[in-house]
Amino acid sequence: MSVLARSVGNAFRNKVRTAAVVAVLAVAIGLALAMLVANQAVGAKVQELNASVGTVLTVNPAGGQGFEGGGEPLTANQAATAAAVPNVSAVVGTSSLRLRNATEAAAQTAAGGQGGPGGQGGPGGQGGPGGQAAATLTTSLTAAVDAGTLGNRNQASGTTGTTQPVRSLPITATGVGAEVDTAGKALNITEGTGLGDYSAESTNALLGTTLAAKNNLAIGSTFTINDQTYTVAGLFDAGTTFGNNAAYLTLPTAQALAGVPGELSSMIVTVDSLENVDTAKTALQAALGTDAADVTQGQNLETAVSSLGSVKNISFIAFIAALGTAGLIILLIMVMLVRERRREIGVLKAIGAPNRTIGLQFVLEALVLAALGSAAGAIIASFASGGIASALISTNTTSTTTAATTGRGAAMAGAAGGAGMPGGGAGFPGGQGGPFGGASQLLTSVTASASPGVIAGGIAAVFGVAIIGALVPALLTARIRPIEVLRGE
Amino acid sequence: MIEVKNLVRTFNSGDRTIKPVNDVSFELAQGTLASIVGKSGSGKSTLLSLLGALDKPTSGDVVVNGVSLAKMPDRKLTEYRRRDIGFVFQQFNLIPNLSAVDNVMLPMEFAGLRRAARLQRARELLEQVQLDPEKHGRRINRLSGGEQQRVAIARALANEPKLILADEPTGNLDEQTGDHIIELLSSLRREHNTTILVVTHDRALANKTDRRFRLQQGKLTEEPVRAKAVAGAPA
Repeated sequence: MSVLARSVGNAFRNKVRTAAVVAVLAVAIGLALAMLVANQAVGAKVQELNASVGTVLTVNPAGGQGFEGGGEPLTANQAATAAAVPNVSAVVGTSSLRLRNATEAAAQTAAGGQGGPGGQGGPGGQGGPGGQAAATLTTSLTAAVDAGTLGNRNQASGTTGTTQPVRSLPITATGVGAEVDTAGKALNITEGTGLGDYSAESTNALLGTTLAAKNNLAIGSTFTINDQTYTVAGLFDAGTTFGNNAAYLTLPTAQALAGVPGELSSMIVTVDSLENVDTAKTALQAALGTDAADVTQGQNLETAVSSLGSVKNISFIAFIAALGTAGLIILLIMVMLVRERRREIGVLKAIGAPNRTIGLQFVLEALVLAALGSAAGAIIASFASGGIASALISTNTTSTTTAATTGRGAAMAGAAGGAGMPGGGAGFPGGQGGPFGGASQLLTSVTASASPGVIAGGIAAVFGVAIIGALVPALLTARIRPIEVLRGE
Repeated sequence: MIEVKNLVRTFNSGDRTIKPVNDVSFELAQGTLASIVGKSGSGKSTLLSLLGALDKPTSGDVVVNGVSLAKMPDRKLTEYRRRDIGFVFQQFNLIPNLSAVDNVMLPMEFAGLRRAARLQRARELLEQVQLDPEKHGRRINRLSGGEQQRVAIARALANEPKLILADEPTGNLDEQTGDHIIELLSSLRREHNTTILVVTHDRALANKTDRRFRLQQGKLTEEPVRAKAVAGAPA
């Protein structure tokens, strides 16, 4: 009988005890593996976020006053200047338009509602710092967000008894130079294709899924902006209700519609690596001038990533703690087994067993227990890791989610305040359902999947702990003289 | 040749110092069957432990074929026990969850013998000690005391040791089985020129050995024995 066979046999000497030990180990190892899986999933998500939008800077005209607009529009020359800044890998200009349903606009004009109180993009809503005044155009589209969903505030009769006209949210249309959203994040096109031709003659448009559904539009359907016809080339999903109440056109088309060729509402600047973001931001601000442009980074993303980082740290600490617990269980079990079998160790030594053979026998016995515990723990982890990751994320991102929700609420209020006052800034990403505004969705979209590599890594760690836990008591006992053990019994 | 030189082993028990082995010296030629008799607690088992390198003496030395055990590091002592010594314990000290044949194979496994070779030798040894072949694969705790003692002797012979140290080998056996065990040890001595030192209370057994020692209060004295008590004893 080999030492391995002997160890396996020893592991099952007392079947009831072995079952109990394996059950306790399975819980500890399962928890450790679940934490490791959650840690890896969150880590991957942070990397993904950093890779997708973490290297993006937004340039807006300087001097903006929120909903009052203001500041000199950005130009193509400034875009060229930005592109020449070291470490800048891409510059995408955007031109923002505000679309209002033609029928509603006509009804409000007839009712004298234009220019009422509450300008476009109230504080914290559509308008961000430095937002350029967006051109307001009419469209055949109806906004995907109904006025009634905003608390019916615009539908209620006032104390004066004046009936307010029906109002709905404006639709944000953005002209882009590449298929990215206003934050530089690649659009998630769910149907159809991209815009393709970026010339001024292009009549292709991308619509948010809810906007298309509201207007019964599909790929190939048409709609109008200022009586010009555009074809739905693709549908995208921004992940938020407000983000999907939007349309994308080519930059030259948007500029032509707004009547401001060559002018940009904002620029999306991509830096070549996360490490160079701060340097590039400083250089970009210097190149463009503080009096001409504001260079910003997505603060909500930083918060989101920071929050995910906390989850990552907590899950790692919990993994270490659970691993330590599993190790302690193995150590205590092996201490108990070694003490119980001191006489056997003495006999083995008396008949010539070297210390390493005795140590190996107990290590293999511990590994058998650890293997059984790991197998059961892996099953537990495969079921529990998703739930544990979600619980950790929802617990640790409450403040971020609350902040994001508040931001969206302000955006709603501002946007619903009326469309009459010109000058509402529309350039700041995150106002209306941009990716930063949907921080909670970003966070909760972390998927914890028990990959074989991660599980194998975790089990290897458990085995490492098991080896130490078994070797220490076995070698301590094996080092004493055989007669001390035999006489002591 | 085993030379025991001024061997002393002391233990502290509270304020008292006990000397179960007190300045013991003797020599045993290779192939001798010797016995040590004495009362319980006289130090017989302690002396056996010192000869078998299970314990270290307080002073003095055991020299086996010119090699001093006192100066040997632990690793070498383990090797000495594995290669040169065969123990037969009073309580058998077999591994209870292993079969008879697995117990006999253990010392050979530690000596690095291949599995097939050690399995064959283990079966031969078990046949030699007259254990029913049907019981070779039986777990130790399902064997009788006599059967376990035979397995213990077979295990002691596994690596063909030069010295067999047997502590009360017939103590737990009936007279007939005890006689058989003595015959077995004698035949081993004859066939393999093995030195055998037996600790016993059994005067009949002691009378069958070539040399007989008595241990009393830690002091060893040799007693005369009848010549040619055991067939095949060296002249």
